[in-house]
Amino acid sequence: MSSDKMITFKVLRFRPEEQDEPSEDTYQVPFEEDWVVLDALNHIKDQMDGTLSYRWSCRMGVCGSCGMMVNGEPKLTCSTFLRDYYPGEMLIEPLANFPIVRDLVIDMDDFMDKLKAVKPWIIREEEQPVEEGEYLQTPEQLSEFKQFSSCINCMLCYSACPVYGPESDFIGPAALALAHRYNADSRDQGMEERREIFASEEGIWNCTFVGECSVVCPKHVDPAVAIQRTKVETTQGWFQSLLMPGGKKK
Amino acid sequence: MNLHHEDYQHKVYIRRKSPTWWLRNIKYFMFMMRELSSAFIGAFLLLFLYELFLISKGEAVFNQFQTSLRSPAFIVFYVIALIFALYHTVTWFGVVGRIQQVKVGKTKVPPSLVTASAFAGWIVVSIAIGLFFFGVI
Repeated sequence: MSSDKMITFKVLRFRPEEQDEPSEDTYQVPFEEDWVVLDALNHIKDQMDGTLSYRWSCRMGVCGSCGMMVNGEPKLTCSTFLRDYYPGEMLIEPLANFPIVRDLVIDMDDFMDKLKAVKPWIIREEEQPVEEGEYLQTPEQLSEFKQFSSCINCMLCYSACPVYGPESDFIGPAALALAHRYNADSRDQGMEERREIFASEEGIWNCTFVGECSVVCPKHVDPAVAIQRTKVETTQGWFQSLLMPGGKKK
Repeated sequence: MNLHHEDYQHKVYIRRKSPTWWLRNIKYFMFMMRELSSAFIGAFLLLFLYELFLISKGEAVFNQFQTSLRSPAFIVFYVIALIFALYHTVTWFGVVGRIQQVKVGKTKVPPSLVTASAFAGWIVVSIAIGLFFFGVI
């Protein structure tokens, strides 16, 4: 159902071929009770200004590509309703802490490199032959990592993290949570391969537990807890290796 | 063809963080306060070590310094250091249940019970130390 109500959208624009720094464009967008921010951006692009650039895909909070700053908070724009802001103004900016490529599109190369660095896949010392069947897990073993496997790589946590902003060497919440997800998986044997990255100064020890990454996570992954658990396990493993030098490190 | 993203150079804009970014959100503000708390707690510990060192200089020197610690400036410093130490402790103990998974046999202890145990242990140890210093035990 359409209404006559309008809502003001201020959108940060950056056209690299024309501008040295971003500027703000203002649009009056129809207010619909059931519209999310992404619907309004699509309306702007389709009806008002076709030059507006932004990323989106699934529209259902799964693909993680439509993350933007909505009134200063990192949000998935496909899950953020206009009704929660109306009649106030909306300020839409690219995700904080990332370089801007164009308008609302950020450069995610740094995140992709870090994600790859933590090897977020199951590593086996020796693969078991297919004939021997699946790697079985108990429900308890599954519960050790299930929560951390829900990450959709939306990067909202990087945007909320006050450490990643000034210290871009920090591996960051999502990549470290995924490292923990695989380290905690009973089928995985790759913790030692990942240790150099996650246990480094740029890894878990750079996190000062602000906790905003967990607050903004749309999938309730709780990266802050994943990082602190890795700190505890790494410290326990270190003490264990001191007391039992021949033993297996945790 | 295997092209890496580094092969593509494009102009990007890097935003500068405002010096007051930590005032924008109460959580960022509390985070900065927790960072600041380490300065006061560190100063308190240095002062404490200095007091221990003065013991070796004799009773008169030690007592003189003790008297100077009763000045309003030092009392304000100690109150601030105490508040920061309490804040630091409460924030960390508040999350210990989420971080430290405790199992009794095969059963996981609920996070709230782990947190409550940490607080209870802290209070018991603090009372014991207090009673020791006041000569009760």
